[in-house]
Amino acid sequence: MIASSFEKFIQFTVDGLAAGSVYALLALALVVVFRGSGQLNFAQGEMGMFCAFIASTLYLSGVPMWLAVIIVMMVGFVMGVGIERFVIRPLEHKNPGGVLVAAIGLFLLINSLAVAIWGVDPRGLPSVFPSAPDDFFRLFGAAVRWEEVGVFLAMLGLLGLLWLLFTKTKVGLGMRAVANNQDSSRLVGIRVGWILAIGWGVAGAIGALGACLLAPQAGLSQTLMLGPFIFASAAAILGGLDSPLGAVVGGLAIGLIQNYIIGYVNWLGGGMVLSVVFLIILIVLLVRPTGLFGSTRVERV
Amino acid sequence: MATSFPIDVQRGSTLHRVGQVVLFGLVALFFLRAGLTWNRSGLGQLTDALLFATAAIGLNLLVGVTGQVSIGHSAFFGLGAYTSAILVSKHDWTPGWTFPVVVVLCFVVGMVVGLPALRLKGVYLALVTIAFATMFTQLLNWDRLAWLTGGPIGIKNIGYLPPEWTPFDGRKDLAKWFFWLTLVVFLICAAIASSLIRSRFGRAMVAVRDNETAAAVMGVNRAAVKTLVFGLSASMAGIAGSLFALKLTLVEPVVQFFTLFGSIFLLVMVVLGGAGSTWGPLVGAMIFVYVRDRANSVGEGEGVFGLLEGTRIGGLGGIVFGIGLIVLVFVAPFGVVGLLRKGRAKVVRVMPRPPAAAGHAPPAPTILTPASPDPTTQQGET
Repeated sequence: MIASSFEKFIQFTVDGLAAGSVYALLALALVVVFRGSGQLNFAQGEMGMFCAFIASTLYLSGVPMWLAVIIVMMVGFVMGVGIERFVIRPLEHKNPGGVLVAAIGLFLLINSLAVAIWGVDPRGLPSVFPSAPDDFFRLFGAAVRWEEVGVFLAMLGLLGLLWLLFTKTKVGLGMRAVANNQDSSRLVGIRVGWILAIGWGVAGAIGALGACLLAPQAGLSQTLMLGPFIFASAAAILGGLDSPLGAVVGGLAIGLIQNYIIGYVNWLGGGMVLSVVFLIILIVLLVRPTGLFGSTRVERV
Repeated sequence: MATSFPIDVQRGSTLHRVGQVVLFGLVALFFLRAGLTWNRSGLGQLTDALLFATAAIGLNLLVGVTGQVSIGHSAFFGLGAYTSAILVSKHDWTPGWTFPVVVVLCFVVGMVVGLPALRLKGVYLALVTIAFATMFTQLLNWDRLAWLTGGPIGIKNIGYLPPEWTPFDGRKDLAKWFFWLTLVVFLICAAIASSLIRSRFGRAMVAVRDNETAAAVMGVNRAAVKTLVFGLSASMAGIAGSLFALKLTLVEPVVQFFTLFGSIFLLVMVVLGGAGSTWGPLVGAMIFVYVRDRANSVGEGEGVFGLLEGTRIGGLGGIVFGIGLIVLVFVAPFGVVGLLRKGRAKVVRVMPRPPAAAGHAPPAPTILTPASPDPTTQQGET
């Protein structure tokens, strides 16, 4: 049966939204860190990958998958807080440029640790959502997998939770204050250090969730997050590095562009997708240097 | 007051000059001795370090001195490598004659890639350069360009035997030939960089790094500075890549230094050595090559390290390397050169020259800054 062009379009859209949801999640993690500390956490993806491996170990020892995901999200939180407190913050006082190198060091360290602990054979990770081959429903003739719906909803749910965190809690208020002006926040009694650490922790937890959602389709290996991390940072930049909404829009947009290119632009071949995505982002950035939703800051001399 | 530390030495005085010459002489002696007596593997390692140092000098001009972060220099490195490889293998050029082509090509491409830097800052610019590096690797693998690049297979057999007029004897002295060739290229680039930093243009670069708006207000042509430095640093990375490919005798897309990781490692070298300092790139590259080879010999396995180089390295080696990087950043926040400078300041203090026209100028201040006030030694907020 040859699918009609409309069905194909719906199919690409659904797959694009699903892929984009994962990018959006990871981009959210990057944005949460960037808002607080102005850093792009290069080790973000690897932290998530490491957590996904822990989840796999938990699952193999009998823990149900949904519980394993919650546990590793907590592990991710602790990892994030720990890294901020013991590596990033002491360095930031000494040398902001060094943070980048330290993040690269962490990247290599975590990746190699995962190799040392779990070996290089790729393993599967079961999905928290129904993912059997026939777990799908039809929408205008296109197959929509429940897993894809689950990932999309998880992303939306997380965006909602973050919104609640930022707007309805005291910690979130502190986070927004710190993002705005660290010195003034300290003067009004906000414990800036802890707020930043919590930001890293939240990002760690989101990263862990993202990796656990990605691994069932992509297969769990040490290279799991290399590509998605690049897509996610592209998404964060496209949306504007300090805007959670921008991260989601950017992530979904990139997922869609990716799938449309694979689907419609055959002569390009799958290998060139990232290049096209980057070209589009470059054009957007040249028009809006801080992304679609990013805020510009006035620099005083 | 016979000998109380630290000793004060005036910048530009005879003593200062002698000190500089002695230091330079010691380094020159080290390389001379290495070039004459070291065995093939040691020399190969040192050649690698010089190669990367050449690329790092260019990147340092951009990141350390001008304050524009680039995580895309692997693409220029790879562009140089592929340009030489294609000209040598498909058009039978003498490898040496490809160097000028590489320099010009990378300069032009570098200026074009630098154009977004006119609009973008910081992390946003960093991502555009990441994008460039990623696109470059994808282009290398693209089967529609395989007629040119060889696609995933790459181009093999592109060595550079020493020409007749050199004192080197064909294949036997290959390691020595490459070492001296690389050393000469490195010295040329180092000379260009250090004289540039001291020039009017160099001060404009520092001004752009420290405060772009203020620089523009004072009449610095930001656009010219940024694009020219981008181009210059790209051609240095390109010539290093060209040498790298000829030394390796092949180019293929999986070579680690043509991928994003190459960019990251070059940046690591610059920051490790000391961003903005003259000696930083060399020191950083030497430490990097040494630590990497050490880490590789520690353990077998795979990981980011091994997977991308196409060899069986990583695992334990990657752990050692990762921890090493973090520890080094902690111990030497302004790079190893910064650390050495701090150590030296305990023994010798270099004083700035007093104002020249003492007659009608206000008297020279008696309290002078202890550290060397050379603008290039200060860390920019990269």
